[in-house]
Amino acid sequence: MSTLQRILYVEDEASIQKVAKLALEMVGGFTVKICASGAEALCEAEAFAPDMILLDVMMPGMDGPTAFESLRKLPALAEIPVAFMTAKIQHQELVYYKSLGALDVIPKPFDPMTLSAQVQAIWDKRHG
Amino acid sequence: MAEKDNDIIAQLSQLRNEYKIHLQTELAELAGLTAKLNGSVSENAVLDDLYHRLHKLAGSGGSFGFNALSEEARHLELMLKACLSETGNDDEVARKRIIEGVAALATTPDAQDAQVIAKLSSPGTAAANKCIPIWLVEDDDALGQELARVLRQFGFDVRLFTRFDDAEAAACREQPGVLIMDVLFREEGLNSTEALSNSPALQALHCPKLFISEEDDFQSRVRAARLGADGFMLKPLNIPRLIDRLEYILAQQQAEPYRVLIVDDDATLSEHFRLVLNMAGIDVSVLNTTQNIIGAMVQFRPELILLDLLMPGFSGSELAAIIRQYDEWLSLPIVFLSAETDLDTQISAMGRGADDFIIKPISDAQLTAAVRVRAARSRQIAELMSKDSLTGLLKHARIKEEAQLELARSQRTAKPMSLAMLDIDHFKKVNDTYGHAVGDQVIRSIAHLLRQHRRKSDSVGRYGGEEFVILLPECGREAACELLEDIRQRFTALSFRHEEQEFSCTLSAGIATSPEHFTGSSVDLFIAADVALYIAKRGGRNQVRYSVL
Repeated sequence: MSTLQRILYVEDEASIQKVAKLALEMVGGFTVKICASGAEALCEAEAFAPDMILLDVMMPGMDGPTAFESLRKLPALAEIPVAFMTAKIQHQELVYYKSLGALDVIPKPFDPMTLSAQVQAIWDKRHG
Repeated sequence: MAEKDNDIIAQLSQLRNEYKIHLQTELAELAGLTAKLNGSVSENAVLDDLYHRLHKLAGSGGSFGFNALSEEARHLELMLKACLSETGNDDEVARKRIIEGVAALATTPDAQDAQVIAKLSSPGTAAANKCIPIWLVEDDDALGQELARVLRQFGFDVRLFTRFDDAEAAACREQPGVLIMDVLFREEGLNSTEALSNSPALQALHCPKLFISEEDDFQSRVRAARLGADGFMLKPLNIPRLIDRLEYILAQQQAEPYRVLIVDDDATLSEHFRLVLNMAGIDVSVLNTTQNIIGAMVQFRPELILLDLLMPGFSGSELAAIIRQYDEWLSLPIVFLSAETDLDTQISAMGRGADDFIIKPISDAQLTAAVRVRAARSRQIAELMSKDSLTGLLKHARIKEEAQLELARSQRTAKPMSLAMLDIDHFKKVNDTYGHAVGDQVIRSIAHLLRQHRRKSDSVGRYGGEEFVILLPECGREAACELLEDIRQRFTALSFRHEEQEFSCTLSAGIATSPEHFTGSSVDLFIAADVALYIAKRGGRNQVRYSVL
């Protein structure tokens, strides 16, 4: 089973970027790259070669679902598992994320001490 | 590992402080935006901006521990979303609620401070209450010193202020976990229940407050109640009662999340419920099939089950009946989640062992409230069943079960485990001389001491009248001896009062530690600890001894 090492997190809010990076790197021991927008992610993602992508939903400009679909079109990223990290978790919203092909949803706000375990569990579910 | 955890906590705390500063600006800007809500045509742009900002706040606040703020922001966000979808609808009431709601946001963040510190301190080995600072504000220096000394003996972290002003100044910079405050400050000429209402800094402390007073003054009691006080105690103080109250308050703050098992074949719906309950701080496990439900229950130990009434292959009520076949799940609340509104079906399901119905569809807030209230009741009942009423420690049978489980765990992980038996010396004499009420006070005091000084993983039980057992997983003989010696010394230092007489007690303890590759049972540990206790008693009491297995 391949292991989860590199995570790309697309999030526009600076405070959340910092706390998530800290949580994923220090608690989970992952290598994390933050992109502040969908557009930045599209430029950087292939070079970073993530094992998994975490996407905020509500972002100015390109929103999460749009970024998701665009990332999917990049051949190197077509198969990379993606999870949304969002506070929008109404039933119909979850159905929508799943219909897009997202692996899972991590609700915001998240607990920094357990975020890595949540991400790892999503990975394990896919690869286990 | 502990060092790494501390490092993470320190860095998170730093980020949290940064966020707090950002929050002040953000809340001011939100308030500025609400000032622009005036029913004009351009209002929609303002509403849209507000909506996005509240959404961000809802998503970020909780990650820094501002859970109440997050929840409030989400509530407002949803309200705004409804407003935005009804364009052209000039709703004065909704506008007023939004303006008030945004203003109220400013009062929520600090409320969470104490809990955040507790939450971020990862579940490690430190004693449960040590990290929670207690501020004692008492102008009678002698009484304050004495009270602080006793509280520290019980393991509390106490900071003493002899002037109201000093506490007020400190409240601008930091905040306590609990505030204990005298009512009358003679030198400063003030009544703290009055002064507190007029002090923005102290008002902003959303920690539990306990008042202590010389006089039973009704007006002060009313003001204390309005300030949301958690207690009003009269001098001379009954210390065990004060400790009881503090423990109760801290236990409420540090309670573990409720555990809820959802059994529903609709994966998306159950996932939605899981996320909603997760966000309310409830631990949730989801089963989408009924296979191995008992195995899942044994592992997860739910405090409540939410069961779909109609599952492929089984009916929910059949499943409830199966769960009830197991003795250990007899008192577990089983609640049906169902779109079923037919009363007869409900009654027949309840007849098979279910306790209640929650009808789908249900709003997130209703679901959270319904689950929380039932889980709380379930936990209360479980505690009443397993805990000794005088001390709140585990009962005889439960501590024996716990010992079995812990030993099995230690054998699996190949780590040592210690078991200590403690007995109060000459306890019968205490009862005979001072009466049973005082005897009970001594028993309660040792229970408090044991609870305060154990690690989170340790279990403590009342084994008999004045006999106690403490289980110490992953703890070798030397560390166990050290811990018990510390408890012995602290117990000896406690003074008890009956009428004008002051007295103290001692205890003896016996320790047994499982050796490497131990294949024996927990009974062997109990016997060995008992033998060590016997040796301690024979050796003149007031000492800690161990025996070799």
